[in-house]
Amino acid sequence: MKRIKFLLVVSVLVLALGIASLGVMAADKLPVVIGLQGPITGPYAVEGEMTKQCVEIAAQMINEKGGILDGRMIEIRVADDACQPKAGALAAMKLITQKDVVAAIQTYGSFVVLPASDIYEKFEKVNIAYGATITDLTERGLKYFFRTCGRTDTQAAFFADKVVPFFDAKKIAIMNNNTSFSVGLAEETREALKSKIDAGEVEIVYFDAINPEETDFTVPLTKLRETNPDVFYYTGHFPEAGLIIRQAREIGIEATFIGGDAVVNEDFINIAGIEYAKGVYQTQEALIEYFTNPEAMAFKEAYKAKYGTLPSSPWSVYAADALCVLAEAIDKTGSTDSDDIADYLRNKMDKFPSITGPIGFDEIGDRVGSSINLYVVNEDGSSSICDTK
Amino acid sequence: MKIVLEQLLNGLTIGSFYALIALGYSMVYGVMKLINFAHGDLFALGSYLGYTLLVFGSTYATVTFGIWGGMIAAMLVAAIGIGIAGTLIERIAYRPIYSVGRLPAVVSALGASIVIQNGIMVVWGPRPQAYTSQVVPSVMLNIGGIKITLMQIVVLVISFILMGLLFYIVQKTTFGAAIRACALDRSTAALMGINIETIIFFIFALGPALGGMAGVMVGMYYRKISFTMGWNYGLKAFTATILGGIGNIPGAMIGGLLLGILEMLGSVYISTAYKDVFVFLILILVLIFRPTGLLGEKVAEKV
Repeated sequence: MKRIKFLLVVSVLVLALGIASLGVMAADKLPVVIGLQGPITGPYAVEGEMTKQCVEIAAQMINEKGGILDGRMIEIRVADDACQPKAGALAAMKLITQKDVVAAIQTYGSFVVLPASDIYEKFEKVNIAYGATITDLTERGLKYFFRTCGRTDTQAAFFADKVVPFFDAKKIAIMNNNTSFSVGLAEETREALKSKIDAGEVEIVYFDAINPEETDFTVPLTKLRETNPDVFYYTGHFPEAGLIIRQAREIGIEATFIGGDAVVNEDFINIAGIEYAKGVYQTQEALIEYFTNPEAMAFKEAYKAKYGTLPSSPWSVYAADALCVLAEAIDKTGSTDSDDIADYLRNKMDKFPSITGPIGFDEIGDRVGSSINLYVVNEDGSSSICDTK
Repeated sequence: MKIVLEQLLNGLTIGSFYALIALGYSMVYGVMKLINFAHGDLFALGSYLGYTLLVFGSTYATVTFGIWGGMIAAMLVAAIGIGIAGTLIERIAYRPIYSVGRLPAVVSALGASIVIQNGIMVVWGPRPQAYTSQVVPSVMLNIGGIKITLMQIVVLVISFILMGLLFYIVQKTTFGAAIRACALDRSTAALMGINIETIIFFIFALGPALGGMAGVMVGMYYRKISFTMGWNYGLKAFTATILGGIGNIPGAMIGGLLLGILEMLGSVYISTAYKDVFVFLILILVLIFRPTGLLGEKVAEKV
């Protein structure tokens, strides 16, 4: 009796397997798997969540049009790095060791991208960064590394050449939060201001770092207050920036507050309170709400239909861009080989119409032409572009 | 001079948060000889409970009881909620493994810490939450050129009342004497007719409750709360506990206040970036030259 039962179970299992494999046969083709490494948990989990949503929307849009490589669907496989360099290296390994992952979109935070990109390089996987702007990243001669976002030195130059004259600022305070991105932007800004400093037009009266894990910034802010700056440029991230603007105003700093490109989003406004957030400026890569090209309109519509709002971070949209260029490269080369994809991205892709406008890559893997603007937070929490000429 | 006074006041405010949290560590260690690593996360949970009450039903509590009433209600809810959570953790994570020694209990505490932290993330989401301006009084005072916020004074007053109350209970009442007796020698205390179970229940309710109230005050003072906040505060408060002498209740209060002030002065006169280095340097020096902490007494280890 026992034996019969056993045989029955086995035959049911075999049958089930058979049907399952038939199911795969029916779908005909295996999906093309693209890895997404992002901060799904940790202090920047809000970025990770938004990024996952954006990339999934982009995948959905491509799949609805019939996929790539004659009807193969795109599948996203997520690896969480919690925005930590060590976890980032593990997440990269996790994606690499899954043989069906063709290429990876990786992650928010330059200091996480830095070690992870080395690992992808070693195992010859194309990886596209979406939220990593420090200049050095693409200067290391990597073959498989690209990025769809801009570089800090462009932003620093924008600050020096456009923002400083816009406010007619003489005394400038610069504060960073000791992460590689933030220190990078602060130092590049100081570098970009050098000619003006030498000419005696402007002066950097404060240049220091804070620890983003803290919640009390009154000491550094008191020091900053004593230098009496015209503009206060904060190059760190949104969670502590909300506290900084509030505490700065409370101890009586009246300087114009300008954030770097990781400062303003809805959480910043929530933490600072709208009474302090309004009138805050930000040097920022273009936000999705200002794009009107057909690809952006389609993306916005699909995203809004599913989540009700628009993604408030530019980086998440760059991740969706990364998926679009990867899909295009795989489709056009008809190959999932890393060398073919990398070669296509570097040498053949030219003004590919993606969500944030035409995309191409230069020799070292940087995106050609990305635009930076000065935004200001309005009374209702929305942002508008300032005319910096 | 003005800056020094301002910073002293800031240091005192942060110090009173550390002190309130440190009390929980110290009480539990005193009686159980266990470092309750989940304490920092209970503090964060308290912050979220208070936050939930305040934003519930479009700031119902604030609208009904007024801004101060809402604040007190939030602190009470956090105190009760975290008191219950503390005793639950003792039941689930510590009691079943007391018999196998102290080390497994510490590991279990770390596990409880991870569970609470991730639980907060699952329930309230990974993004930082904010005590909005509708629910927290936002008044700036200018006393002789020194700028302080009303919240600072409120935090100081409430913390000192709570600490005074605890000090009274532990030092002046019979029940407090029972707690101190347990801390000195648990088995002898039991022989003297002290109900150990009640004492354990009490310290696991009261210690975390103080932490939970500190959580609400941190939320009101800084406005931003995040699910990872427990770790940082927990670590600093633990340092304060060691500084004051672990297991010693007045020691935890003094250690916390001292740590807050030292931290602030260190960052004013040395460097902000090296603030934590400064704090932990003090800890190392204390451990080298006075391992029992400032107020700790040398206790012979029972074998």
